[in-house]
Amino acid sequence: MSDIRLLLDFDDQVHRDHNQSPAFLHRRDRRFALDCQEKGITPGPQQWLDHLNRLSQQQETPHIRLRRWRALTGGFAAAGALFGIFTMLGLLFYEGGQRINLTVILLFVVLQLLLALLTTVQSLVGWQPWRWLLHNLSNERGATALQQLQPQLMARAAHTGGLCFGLTGLLTLLVLVVVQDLAFGWSTTLDTGATSYHRLLQFLAWPWHSLWPAAVPELSLVESTRFFRSGETAAGEDPALWGQWWPFVAMAWLFYVIVPRLGLLLLAVIHLRYRAQALLKNHPGLLALHYRMETPAVDTGSRHHDAADQPDLSTSSALQPLPPSRTLIRWAGAGEPALPESLAHDKDLNLAAGGRASLEEDRQTIEAAQQQLAREKTPVVLLVTRGWEPPTGELADFLEQAQQRWPAGTRVVLVPLAADPQATPAEHQIDQWLRFAERVGRDRLQVSLVPGHDAGEMHDE
Amino acid sequence: MNDRTMNTHPVFAVVGHPNKGKSSVVATLSQNDAIAIALEPGTTRKHQAYPLRVDEQTLYTLVDTPGFQRPRRVLEWLEAHSLSASDRAETVAAFVVQHRDDPRFVDECELLAPIIEGAGIIYVVDGSVPYSSEHEAEMTILRWSGRPSLALINTIGPDDYSDTWQAALGQFFQVVRKFDALRAHFEQHLSLLRTFGQLEPGWEVPLEQAVHFLSEQRSQRKRDSAALIARALEEMMAFQEKRTLSAAESDTDDKRLTGQLRVRWYDHQRQREMRLRLAIEKLYQHNRLQRQEPELAWHGEHDLFSENSRKTWGVSKRYLATAGFGAGAIGGAGIDALTLGHSFGAAALLGGIIGAAGSVYYADRLSLPVLVSGVLKNGLRTVTFGPVQDSQFGYIVLGRAVDHWWHICHRNHAGRDLLELEPADTHWLEQLERKQRQHLQFVLDRCRKQKSLDERARQQLTDTIEHVMSAYDDWRLNRAAAGN
Repeated sequence: MSDIRLLLDFDDQVHRDHNQSPAFLHRRDRRFALDCQEKGITPGPQQWLDHLNRLSQQQETPHIRLRRWRALTGGFAAAGALFGIFTMLGLLFYEGGQRINLTVILLFVVLQLLLALLTTVQSLVGWQPWRWLLHNLSNERGATALQQLQPQLMARAAHTGGLCFGLTGLLTLLVLVVVQDLAFGWSTTLDTGATSYHRLLQFLAWPWHSLWPAAVPELSLVESTRFFRSGETAAGEDPALWGQWWPFVAMAWLFYVIVPRLGLLLLAVIHLRYRAQALLKNHPGLLALHYRMETPAVDTGSRHHDAADQPDLSTSSALQPLPPSRTLIRWAGAGEPALPESLAHDKDLNLAAGGRASLEEDRQTIEAAQQQLAREKTPVVLLVTRGWEPPTGELADFLEQAQQRWPAGTRVVLVPLAADPQATPAEHQIDQWLRFAERVGRDRLQVSLVPGHDAGEMHDE
Repeated sequence: MNDRTMNTHPVFAVVGHPNKGKSSVVATLSQNDAIAIALEPGTTRKHQAYPLRVDEQTLYTLVDTPGFQRPRRVLEWLEAHSLSASDRAETVAAFVVQHRDDPRFVDECELLAPIIEGAGIIYVVDGSVPYSSEHEAEMTILRWSGRPSLALINTIGPDDYSDTWQAALGQFFQVVRKFDALRAHFEQHLSLLRTFGQLEPGWEVPLEQAVHFLSEQRSQRKRDSAALIARALEEMMAFQEKRTLSAAESDTDDKRLTGQLRVRWYDHQRQREMRLRLAIEKLYQHNRLQRQEPELAWHGEHDLFSENSRKTWGVSKRYLATAGFGAGAIGGAGIDALTLGHSFGAAALLGGIIGAAGSVYYADRLSLPVLVSGVLKNGLRTVTFGPVQDSQFGYIVLGRAVDHWWHICHRNHAGRDLLELEPADTHWLEQLERKQRQHLQFVLDRCRKQKSLDERARQQLTDTIEHVMSAYDDWRLNRAAAGN
């Protein structure tokens, strides 16, 4: 996978991940890092993408946006090739009358060289005068990594076009040399002698002087091929001499149009790869990925869910008015240090059970109450409890034992008290006693509050 | 297989009387809001393990257990089967073996099972109700088990009897700590975990590691929240509602069209804000939050577009002028850079003045988008509504998001009450450094103009928002301290 492709795929994946929860991303990437560690692989963006694609069974498809750039580069190449043919045909246009002016060709070559250099400079500094055009042509919005590569991609396309231009130009020249007689000459208004012109040409021909000496023009050729548009042609008058220029023209084209373009195209490709690597290396998504891979995933113990498994908090029971009773049992320290006056008065028996009392003491309490209840016509026991404490299994056991001992038909009244003797227990505290009474499921077990507390109204509907 | 013989991680059994907040303590420490917590005795019927895992390696496990139902009966049995103090732990184990299938002692067996397997004891009492000596039987049983123990005074109600509890618990437990499962700060969670580690020498290292990882996770969550807020802010500032009208619809009255698009634009923004909130709640593992703000009562005072929101979260003229000046200057400085300094900073100054003026203009109103009608093309006309015209909206979105984040990150998982976001009174962004204020304003302006942010700019925005969150946290802390 090329560096650009890798960068784009990585950037796309980071964009896709924006919609995922951070906790999921952390788990996923940490897991991947641990797997890599086990296999002895150093995880990088490439391995990471391969891993994700493999699991998603994604096929490697050519990047659509890269395809667009490939098409653009192809378009530049085709246009360059066509321009190359037509430009060379234009430059070598010779109808048999006048010479083909070498100076024009040389100027054109220099212009090409300058254009090539300008393209490279533009890509190096990242200047994009044509950005608006791309922006209008593309339907893509938002900053992507590809947009940051545009100067380099554009340079690559332009140099490819330039290279094709040079190549077809050279081919056209060679074809014309074969099929036509081309009469080159040189001409200038400037007061330049053949010697200085020859020096210039020698300087230009230096790169290939040892490679192809015949393509370096000699002074005699320069002297004999100068022409002026008006008046007589230069001395010599040998038409064969005019054709001797073509090796020089071909080599100048090769060395000043094609070779620089080729070199700069290679530079653009290298620069593009370097830039793609640098963008990937500094991609904030990569930093975040490294962090996720390096940091252990912490599960705080939140896997178990049972919130839906709530107990049934409804109750069909209601509070009953407190009946008169002569027997009172304080359960687990209820009514300490002092019982409400309305409960304490008029009691023949005031007993304690539960809490600090031993089980044996509980049994004695049941026994004592049994003796009192046996004497009553409608036996009633008030069992005073701490309303805020939950009813436990011990109380249920106590009631079970008591029922076995006490006379049949004994009514047991649970009386929950609030922590503050003057207050009423909170509604949820009363409810737990109502539900307890319901759960124990005994006849003649009820819940009542101390008279004078208004809570009765809450529950009496 | 028991954990002690496997010499693995420490296990802590959270035990106590029924309905004293054992599950609340576990929910808060394990950051699990899906533990059944009800004001009903016997909510927990089976013991349930909540392990803290780091890359699948367990550092410690909390075990939530049912409450004691028949402690005096258990103690009677134990006393009847023990000869000397040295056999007490074995006798407790024998009790569990003996009564495993006895329905009367199912709760006791469930809660004692992890302890006889080597768990440390975390005994939880409710400090808001008076001390009761009836707890002594269960405390005695726990002491018989011989395991390292710690008592936690968890205050469920408004009253405070913790001093009497502390004195009584001190006679039975090595360490007694107060811990409010509903309101304890994160640092207190960590401090409690460290205390757990001190119960036995071998537990200190895993508990210290756990504290380290939990702190790291918390910092990371803050960073992730900042990134989520940054993204939502960017999208909400740049959002545009578009509609393409056919030739027949082209004659629709502009006022009516504006009304329709405005409703859609508002709804979209509100939904985006809600998505952000859910994402942050999920990040902090609050998956079952019930909120005070009903999602559909948009026009109430909690609404994103209410006057109340603007007053609470919008920033002052002075703030906007200074931040606007800075942001304008950042833009102007770019021109100076292009002219290689030949404009001698004049562009920065001019940009600053324009920025400040624009910001002040919008300071005391929330300037909402206007309808922009496109030209008729191929018989179709596109009309757009948005993006928002001024950056004040960005501050409102940001303020609300950071406030929500703050409530979520300080909310304990034992909390089952509604999430209520009460408004703030003075302005908290004043605490932010000038450079960050300017950067924030610059980004808000950029988003509003629909200029996209690249990953680097996004990262910078996230960093700035993280500073904003810290500033808000400090401000809240100072306010709470001043309130006390």
